[in-house]
Amino acid sequence: MPRSDDLAEIIIGCKKGDAACFTRLLDIYASRCYGYFYRLTGNKTVSDDLLSELFVKLTEKIGSYKGGSFESWLFRIASNIFHDYLRSKHRRQKLLEAQKTQLDTETVEQKFSDGEMIDRLQVRLQRLDADARQLIMLRFYSDLSFKEIARMRREPIGTALSKLHRGLKKLRELMET
Amino acid sequence: MATQDQENLHELFERFLDPEQAARAVQDVRRAEQILRDNPAPEPDKSLITNIEAEIAQVLQRHKRASAFAGIVCRVAAVAAVVVVATAMSLMFLEKGEHERAEVTTASMMPRAIWESQDIVADDADLAVLTAEIEQVEEEALSLELGQNGGNGEKSVVELEIELIAIETDFWKG
Repeated sequence: MPRSDDLAEIIIGCKKGDAACFTRLLDIYASRCYGYFYRLTGNKTVSDDLLSELFVKLTEKIGSYKGGSFESWLFRIASNIFHDYLRSKHRRQKLLEAQKTQLDTETVEQKFSDGEMIDRLQVRLQRLDADARQLIMLRFYSDLSFKEIARMRREPIGTALSKLHRGLKKLRELMET
Repeated sequence: MATQDQENLHELFERFLDPEQAARAVQDVRRAEQILRDNPAPEPDKSLITNIEAEIAQVLQRHKRASAFAGIVCRVAAVAAVVVVATAMSLMFLEKGEHERAEVTTASMMPRAIWESQDIVADDADLAVLTAEIEQVEEEALSLELGQNGGNGEKSVVELEIELIAIETDFWKG
């Protein structure tokens, strides 16, 4: 985690169009954002694309960042990008509804693509409901407080807290069995 | 910004659960988060980071070109505005100048009082004098023709006619 003064300096540099400052932001956040996308999609290729999209958007929109929590701003963009990806995936699935069997096979293959070893945690995460998974990942990778997460998701803090607790409890149980 | 480190989970859960349940919930959260830490997600490849850096450079280049173009457009617009204003102002001054000159020319040809007069003969002193002289000469001519003066009438008439012609010439010369 960078010191807030350092981060403020980096952001000022980014707003001036300094490529070196964007590289520093990439150094700081690429790993966390990549983890966020990977844990939500379970696919390295998709995570690569989403991470690229995130940093291109960040470069284009940095002028609209008006202070406050940078992590909150960044992960809101990341969350929107993930939702756009889900929507386009859903559209694709609708188009391919007639070939459902084929699609199911493809989805399974996609989950275990790139010949990579899918870790146990990733498999267990797929068994949580989508909303709880997103909330857990947002909490874990963004390092935001519950108050900020609740504000970002536009839901009461009690709701966010309860969903996260249930999700994490279930994940723990799944991992311990 | 309140980060997770500064956040008191106990306090937060206790707002919704009794102290015992809150303690258990905090424990659940801490243990599950430890599982997430023990199973880190893969790191992005170096080549991906290099590609993203290249994409960022392209975006910045595009932005620079766009803002340079916007700058040129602004400068051209400013110059055009100055030219338009300057042209409009110079046209205004030219028109005003011509108007003033026209008034002066008119004044030199004929005084405003004469131009606006209802009785030019009465208002123009020169014209009044000339008219009086003409009338006087006409009267003298008439009386001579009628032989009222007596004596050398014919010679006097000729002289009078010459004088009349001279007066008329003076009048038309202005």
